[in-house]
Amino acid sequence: MLHQIKQVFHSPKFVAGFVIFVFLLLFSILYPIFSPYGPMEMVGNIFYAPGTYVSVVDTAQSSEKVTMNVDTAQATLDATLTDDTRNKMKTWLVNQAGIAESDIDIEDTETLISLWNENYDPELSTGMITADKRAYERLNTQIQTLEESGGIILATEDEEGNLEVSEEVDGQQFVNVNDVTNKVAFPLGTDNFGADVMTKLASSIGVSLRIGLLAGLIATAIGLVIGLLSGYLGGWVDNLLVFITNLFTVIPSFVILILIANSVGQAARGPMMVALIIGCTGWPWTARSVRSQVLSLRNRDHVNLSKLSGHSLPRIVAVDILPYLASYVVMAMILQISSGILSEAQLSMLGLGPSTAEATTLGLMMNWAQKFGALTSMSWWAFIPVIISIALITFSLNLMNTGLDQVFNPQLRDS
Amino acid sequence: MKGMMKYYGQKVIWYVATLIVAVFLNFLLPRLMPGNPVDMLVNQALTGSTDPGVREQVVQQYTEQFGLDKSLPEQFLTYVGNLLQGDLGMSISQYPRTVNEIIGSAIIWTLALQIPAIIVGWILGNGLGALAAYLRGGVDKVVLPVFMFISNFPAFGLGMVFLWLFASQLHWFPVGGGYAADMVPNFSWDFVLSVLDHYRLPFITMVLIAIGGQAIGMRSMSIYELNADYVKYSRFLGIRDLTIVRYVFRNAMLPQVTGLALSLGTMVGGNLVAEMVFSYPGIGTTLFDAISGRDYPLLSGCTLIITIMVLIANLVVEILYGVIDPRVKATQQDS
Amino acid sequence: MAKYMLEVNKLKTKYVTRLKEDVYAVDGVSLKIEEGKSLGIAGESGCGKSTLALSLMGYYFAPLHYISGDIIIDGVNISGMKPDKIRKNILGNEIAYIPQAAMNALNPTQKIIRFIEDVIHVHDKSMSKKDIYDMAVERFRILGLPPEVLQKHAVELSGGMKQRTVIAISTILSPKVLIADEPSSALDVTSQKMVIKMMRELMEKGFIKSMIFITHELPLLYNVTDDIMVMYAGQIVEKGTAKEMVFDPVHPYSKGLMGSIIVPEEGTRDIKLEAIPGTPPNLKHPPAGCRFAPRCKYAKPECKLFEIPEKDFDNERMYRCIYDVDYLKEVYGRNG
Repeated sequence: MLHQIKQVFHSPKFVAGFVIFVFLLLFSILYPIFSPYGPMEMVGNIFYAPGTYVSVVDTAQSSEKVTMNVDTAQATLDATLTDDTRNKMKTWLVNQAGIAESDIDIEDTETLISLWNENYDPELSTGMITADKRAYERLNTQIQTLEESGGIILATEDEEGNLEVSEEVDGQQFVNVNDVTNKVAFPLGTDNFGADVMTKLASSIGVSLRIGLLAGLIATAIGLVIGLLSGYLGGWVDNLLVFITNLFTVIPSFVILILIANSVGQAARGPMMVALIIGCTGWPWTARSVRSQVLSLRNRDHVNLSKLSGHSLPRIVAVDILPYLASYVVMAMILQISSGILSEAQLSMLGLGPSTAEATTLGLMMNWAQKFGALTSMSWWAFIPVIISIALITFSLNLMNTGLDQVFNPQLRDS
Repeated sequence: MKGMMKYYGQKVIWYVATLIVAVFLNFLLPRLMPGNPVDMLVNQALTGSTDPGVREQVVQQYTEQFGLDKSLPEQFLTYVGNLLQGDLGMSISQYPRTVNEIIGSAIIWTLALQIPAIIVGWILGNGLGALAAYLRGGVDKVVLPVFMFISNFPAFGLGMVFLWLFASQLHWFPVGGGYAADMVPNFSWDFVLSVLDHYRLPFITMVLIAIGGQAIGMRSMSIYELNADYVKYSRFLGIRDLTIVRYVFRNAMLPQVTGLALSLGTMVGGNLVAEMVFSYPGIGTTLFDAISGRDYPLLSGCTLIITIMVLIANLVVEILYGVIDPRVKATQQDS
Repeated sequence: MAKYMLEVNKLKTKYVTRLKEDVYAVDGVSLKIEEGKSLGIAGESGCGKSTLALSLMGYYFAPLHYISGDIIIDGVNISGMKPDKIRKNILGNEIAYIPQAAMNALNPTQKIIRFIEDVIHVHDKSMSKKDIYDMAVERFRILGLPPEVLQKHAVELSGGMKQRTVIAISTILSPKVLIADEPSSALDVTSQKMVIKMMRELMEKGFIKSMIFITHELPLLYNVTDDIMVMYAGQIVEKGTAKEMVFDPVHPYSKGLMGSIIVPEEGTRDIKLEAIPGTPPNLKHPPAGCRFAPRCKYAKPECKLFEIPEKDFDNERMYRCIYDVDYLKEVYGRNG
């Protein structure tokens, strides 16, 4: 046994899968401990992009401002004048000011801005809808501010309501992020509820793994019992069980899953209930393979010897059959866990996933991202990490399964 | 010949039996839950609907359709009777359309998408597995593992990634739907082009997902066949390697046909949810609408039609397998 | 002068194991077969006789590799030919092969006639399907095989029928040399007899011009072939006519091989039954000198020092031993 475990850890495939899996597991356990927010806590608002957010007041009032010898104006200009903005400017210049399209090169920032300054006049925006007119006015203001080297004045209000200049800040002044007291980091942004995606992801991986594990355990247990009975007892019991097993192999488990999950009702569908439902529909595969394994074991010499010695059925099964199935059952269970996690995601996507205020799963995260338009609003951070996590979990489990298979079924090893 | 007729006969009978069980489950599972299911249904149906006319219609509809006052066996008979007449009831969320009507318009889309996607995925997967077994090297060590990794994504997950990347970001594909939103289905050339345009991304997604799983099975089958004695014998009779490769891949591919039948249920499940991600007007999206609209008759109709589709596909694959693999014929003659 | 169908001079081949080790399974084998004659090759498992069978065809693919030596078929030296030319012009046509495991030698999903078409089309593209079918039916009929077999798949045939079909397919182009590697070993006695009978018929009817029959069963060879060679560790240790080899072997190994087999032939009953001690050498590192020396009870120190050359004696006989023929005969006389 020890020898075989050693061998398993010499299989590169198993080790690769195991490392990925342990990494995800540790992430799901450790990250929520160190994260300052709860997985469901509304820290921010809907779909903030990943990054560190610092308090504006803290930054403005920081006494530790330092001067950098950096051309901030150019960087700000580049950031403001995106391709989109440049195109907008061009459109205005062509349509409202009547400048030939060929005279405008949107790549040439300097000429573009001088053309704009020469020609822009809000009065010329005739025939445009108000919203567009406003947008161009705002754009103009922005461009004018850029021109004025970017300094701002901080003022305080005294008792009479007069503003008094407290400080002038120019474009070259910086504040050390560490000196800003209030800051919030969202490594993966926020989701549609304003929760930190990273924390939520860690917690979801944990819950999804638990659902997969429970579903896998249940499916494997049912499959094992049915397979053992069917294979060992034979006769009409076998015929009946094989019929039932084939039946549920052909009827898509996906359909039964939907029917049960829908009937249970939303209120009753906690994560463990979902796991239970998935487990109860996933067993036919395991039953089939256990049965065929038992059939080949049943006529081995040691089993016959045990039978002749008058050992009881439970004893024969426990001592002479189960140990030979152990590696096989472990492999089947690994596959069941992976398909359990996928089934949860599938159910959740259809709106039949776990419904609870305390926990979230990978499937639910995907479902919400989809429902709240993360795809169309380009909020990739709300679903890409989730999908990659699911793929990594199933990939790592499949790798481990292949590795085990190669160790326990040497004839499958590559030549 | 007689053996084969018996073989097909048994298969057909078995599938009919399975269908009956499936229908029974479709009827029974929702009714096993505590509380009066029809009360629940009516309540569900009424959320969001304030029109008293609709309420009356729905209650009456249910009373008729489910035989509220009758026993469970009688209800089952009513249910089967309605089914046999091809009547799946009225939709709640899309009242006054019938379930038949909704499913009828959705099923063409699903069949047109999923059958080609699964078949193409199966062919490409088998081709890749065969190449990996025959050529080894880069195909085996790089290309195959990449597709293996892709196949670990759920179809709907990969669909979301592709929609974001290729449709929203790069604008290579439309962002979803079965055709341009401003069109009305008709047989004009423009409409067909629009359908094809919207067809590409879901199709590619489903094909990519299917490749890895098929390829790995084909690879090990091909390696097994390449080492078979008949390969060596054929070589020593002077037969060209290309011809031998043809023998090998035919033999390796035949068991893959059964493999397809067995994985069909899982594949269809993932693909249906992917339809929803792409807002593709098929059964998957209809199913999602039924669930979110608490439209029980529509949901029940969808699950039934999905089951029937999978059963028919399985039966077709099994019959096809009996025709193309002489090994099946041989075992039938023995018995 | 007799016409040789197959002449092999100092053929040396090796195969490479998975662990990239070289195994010299055929190490300087020479042999000649006249038209109309058959040659048997006997030896323990692992002596290189199956590798020899494959090497004789001049068509090498991994893990088998050619090193040196000549293979001359009916006066044409094929050892320098391009593999593709050998495949097209020689295999199946001039030299044919019957594999050890005929059970799985046929593609299970192909009709026999389709395979025959493929085989013939390699060498002669001009023949129509109809011609091929007629020819195959005729050949099957002569060989006593039911022509219906042609329309069946391999899975529908019994073991003995499969083997006979394989033999018929291998010889369908009437090759000059047929190499049969244990064609009957896996069969029951009845099928075995039918196969042997069929091989004889092939020779008699002129469908093959010469034959090499490889087996580990010496007595079988006595019934089938004209000459017998005994192979040990990749080398030929003795050669003679079937009768001479069975009743009058000289090499200690041939002697031992005869002794380790129960031969129900007249006159061999009084030979004492004894197994050869020890196991055949590992061909990755063959022993220096005489390869049989470590197992030979007459071995003296010199045996392990020098390579022993092949020595001719009597009429067309050959052996490979340090001792004189007369001395060997005398030793046996005393012991036997």
